[in-house]
This record gives sequence, C-alpha cells and structure tokens, in this order.
Amino acid sequence: MTAYADMPKVHRDRKGRVNPNRLVLTPVLIAAALTVLYLWVHSQTLDSIEQRTLNRAYLQTAVLQHLKLTFEATALILAIAIPLGIAVSRPRARHIAPVALGVANVGQAFPAIGLLVLLTTKLDVGVKVAMISIVAYGVLPVLRNTIVGLQQIDPALTEAARGIGMRPRQVLWKIELPLAVPVLLAGVRTTLVLAVGVTTLATFVNAGGLGDIIVNGLKLNRLPVQITGAVLVMCIAYFVDWLARIAEDALKPRGL
Amino acid sequence: MADTAVTIELEHLTKTYAGVAAPAVDDVSMTIPAGELVVFLGPSGCGKTTTMKMINRLIEPTSGVIRIGGEDVLGTDPVELRRRIGYVIQSIGLFPHMTIADNIASVPKMLGWPKARITGRVEELLTLVGLDPATFARRFPRQLSGGQQQRVGVARALAADPPVLLMDEPFGATDPITRLRLQREFRRLQQDLGKTVIFVTHDFDEALVLGDRIAVLAERSRIAQYAAPLALLANPADDYVRSFTGNSTHVRLLGILTADTAADPGVIGHGAEPELTTAATLRDVTELLLAGHATVAVLDQTGTRLGGADFTTVRRAVAAAQAQARPAEETDADADSDADADSVSDTEIPA
Repeated sequence: MTAYADMPKVHRDRKGRVNPNRLVLTPVLIAAALTVLYLWVHSQTLDSIEQRTLNRAYLQTAVLQHLKLTFEATALILAIAIPLGIAVSRPRARHIAPVALGVANVGQAFPAIGLLVLLTTKLDVGVKVAMISIVAYGVLPVLRNTIVGLQQIDPALTEAARGIGMRPRQVLWKIELPLAVPVLLAGVRTTLVLAVGVTTLATFVNAGGLGDIIVNGLKLNRLPVQITGAVLVMCIAYFVDWLARIAEDALKPRGL
Repeated sequence: MADTAVTIELEHLTKTYAGVAAPAVDDVSMTIPAGELVVFLGPSGCGKTTTMKMINRLIEPTSGVIRIGGEDVLGTDPVELRRRIGYVIQSIGLFPHMTIADNIASVPKMLGWPKARITGRVEELLTLVGLDPATFARRFPRQLSGGQQQRVGVARALAADPPVLLMDEPFGATDPITRLRLQREFRRLQQDLGKTVIFVTHDFDEALVLGDRIAVLAERSRIAQYAAPLALLANPADDYVRSFTGNSTHVRLLGILTADTAADPGVIGHGAEPELTTAATLRDVTELLLAGHATVAVLDQTGTRLGGADFTTVRRAVAAAQAQARPAEETDADADSDADADSVSDTEIPA
C-alpha cells in the first residue's frame, strides 16, 4: 500500500559499525570544495556588485538563515509526521494510512514554488509562508518511513509483547518505536536534504537563505556569485546528510 | 513450587469470527489438571492455537468460560492475566533490540520488582535453562543460535514464576537434533517445576515425549481423544486418532516405556552385558538388542542391577502396558496419573 520507503543505506562493516572512512570522507570533500571555492573567488577581481554579496557578513547571514529555516521546518515536519504515522499505523486506523500518504504525496508532487505563490496571495510574504511550503514538501518521507518502519516489524514480536502482558502503549514505546528507528531516521535524512534544497526558494517570499545569493547572481549575471551560492547549498546538503548519518548510527538500537 | 500449580478449566469455549459461519473453535470443554503438561495435538488450522490463545485472551472467546485456579479469567484485566501466564511461541519472539537479560526481565520489570531481585532472577533462570549468565546475559538475541534463543524464550516465560505456561510449537523452528535436546531438557525442567502447561504441536512424537496427557484435536478444536500417551497408543478412540498413531504404535510405545518395565531379575547376563539406567526407554534397550547383544542390564539410579532385558521381556512389557491402558481408559482412571479423577472424568471421551 505504501510507496517505497527510503531504507537505511549506511555502509556498515561486519560488526555493524559504520565504515569510519565514509564518515570521514564527507567532511573532507566538503572542506575541499569550500577551499577551492574560496581560492577561486579570491583569484577573481570582484566588482562592487559582487563585493556587496561576496563578503563574510552577508554570506554568514545567508547560511545561518538557510540552516535555521531548514532545521525549524524539519522539526515541524517531525512533530507532524511521526505522531501521524504512528496514529495511522494503529490497528483501528490502518485504513486511513493510504489517505494520509496520498495527501503527503500531493504535498511533494505539487511544485513548491507554486505553493509559495499561492500562499502569498492569502498570507503576507515572509518566513511563515516559506515554512509552510517546506513542511508541505518534506512531510512525505518521514510519514512514509514512520508507517513502513512500524509495518515491517514482525507481527510475532508485537504478539509476543502482548502475550507477556505489555499494554498497547508499552508495546509501542518499548518494542515498535525502537525497532522502527532505523527506517524512520532514513526518512528524516531524506527530508533534511529535501528541505535544504527547497529552502533556496525562500528568497522568493523574502525569507532569506542562500537562495538570495543565487538569485542575485542570476539577476545581475555575476558568475562568481551564482557559483558561490550553488556550492554553499550543495555543501550544506552534504553536511546535513552527514550529520543525519551520524545520528542514524548513534540512535539505532544496539542488537539490530 | 508444584503445590502452587493451578487447574485450568475450559467450559463450552467457542470462537466465531465475524463474517464466518462455522466457528473456529466449537464448544470445547476440558480440564487441564494442576501441574500437568497437556499437549494440544492436531493438524494446522484445527483451532488448537486459537484455543490456546483464548486462555491468555490474545483472542477473546465468543462464548464459554475459562477458569484458572477456579477464577473466571474472562472477568479480569487481560494484561494483568497475561503477566501471570508464561507464553512461548514458535518464532521465539525475543526482542532483538534488548539484551538477553532485558528480555528475560521484561515481565518482572512490568511487575515492579526491585532491581537486585530481577538481576538475581535472570541469573537463576539462565542457569536453569543451561546458559552461563556471565557469557549470555549481555548478548543480543541475534548473537545466539536458534536453540539458545529458544532456551531464553522459555526463561523469559518463566521469569515471574507464573503457575501456567502456554507454549505454541516452541521447538518447531529448530533443527531435529536441537529439537530433541530441547524436548528432553524441557521435560526434565517441567518435572522439577510442576507448572500447568498447555503445549501446542502437530508432532505426535513430541506429544508422546512431553505430554502427561494429549488432547487430539480435530477440526474446530473438537476433542477426538483426551488421554495419557500410553492410553492413546494402546487404544485410539477412532480412525482420526489412529491417523496420528499410525501403524507403528508398538514401536512408539517403546519410546515412552522406561527400561525398567522390561527388567526381569530372572534374565541373567553373560559377561560383557551393556547397561542402561531407568532413565532410558525400551527403545534404547531394543536398539542394543538389535545391535547383537543377547541381554541388556537395567540399573536403578544408584547403580544396582534391577534385572536383565531381552526381546522376550521387552515384548512382555509392551503387551502389559497395552493391557493396562485398555481397562484404564474404560474406567476413566488414568494409569499413570495421580490427578484427581473427578476433574478428568467429565472431559474424557468414552472409548
């Protein structure tokens, strides 16, 4: 009934530990990309328009705005999607799960930029509109993986839990949720990366972020500005993915 | 511990699923005597598991009465009830994200035992099922073999010392050698613990090894025959029961009769005579006789020779067991049971 979930794809060695090389590789590549970018930009002669964007204060503000929007939207997504995923996985509500997934699918299928424009006609421009759009776009992976993560648990395990006298709430908290964590976190990771991407559109509703830099570069036809914006977004996406991978490994229950 | 064992009574127990005309379990009445291991034997889909799950109310009965130790359990909180009933299933159902110690401690923790008592109990139980606590307590289920996992499953079920155990094909998923070992260990364990056990299986040989009594169940959990293994083999009630016992009833009898039944002091050994104790079965005796030994010495637990066994005494022992089982079935008094005859008589099917 569900779309395919994003399965945990951390590469582990035989003892189940994350391959340390892969965990080191990502930050090394990010550092390399940022260094190359820095050296290249410095080798260019920047005109006054470029200087107005490519300075420490401006970049720092954009990056921080971008991260803030991404993480706040993701937190909101978790607060909505995880309880909803749990609710529709309960035996009595199982028939609602396809409906919830359908709605979440529409959220992701609908172009985020279109939603931004539509929302702006009703609400004023600003962070609120950006947040709503990111949340609508990013709910699906977490919701889907919460549902799939709970559904993939061997029914014999939950029956054993009930059979030894756990109450439904204890079965959920002690058995189901811990066992769903790896799949659930894979969904969170996908959502985080999506959110980093969609947050670049926040610039169109005057909510800041690295979209400001990219759009500036495009409008004023300044290549160093465009490239700086694009590379920074990419680096943030990889960085967030790397953080999520560490979280996956740290939060995954031992013994699985 | 045996004196705390309880009787389980089922009266007109019926389960009908919505939208299905025929009941899955139809009007089952039986008494499981305190401290006995009763096997529900039947083919897949006969309702034996459904009947068992109604006892801990994982499945709610449509009608009927279940009494455990005289208490009507349908009026109690099912969760509280389940904490007083050990439960072992075929797929073992160990929680993969918890250590062996935490798995075993599940029920005591829910019952709010103090930490020290739980730790002590976990060690006691691991030792009881033959696993070294120092080695296994902190491991995770996937680090254990199937047989070891199933031992932990039994330990978890015993954790809060429940008077009743429900076991649903607990050894079904293990290989034949492990299975045989687990069966023997469990029989020994049960002799010490004296729990009231309901054991579901479709394996007749397992039923013979473990059961104090066997309930042969037909479709919709109808009781075709409810009797001790010996009586079942010697005197199957109908063709359905005979389909389980098959043509090898005599050979199977060898497997449940102990070696001392064929020991005759008049049978004198000749020199290098193999020796067996009373823990062995006539099957072991026959094996040695077929291997070429003229006689086998049967010793009691202290090593004293009870007598010798040869083909003649084995044949005599089997015939005697059959003769003893037949009238026993007719008079409702079970040959090898010391249980209260009244509690059994109304549930037994006349031969």
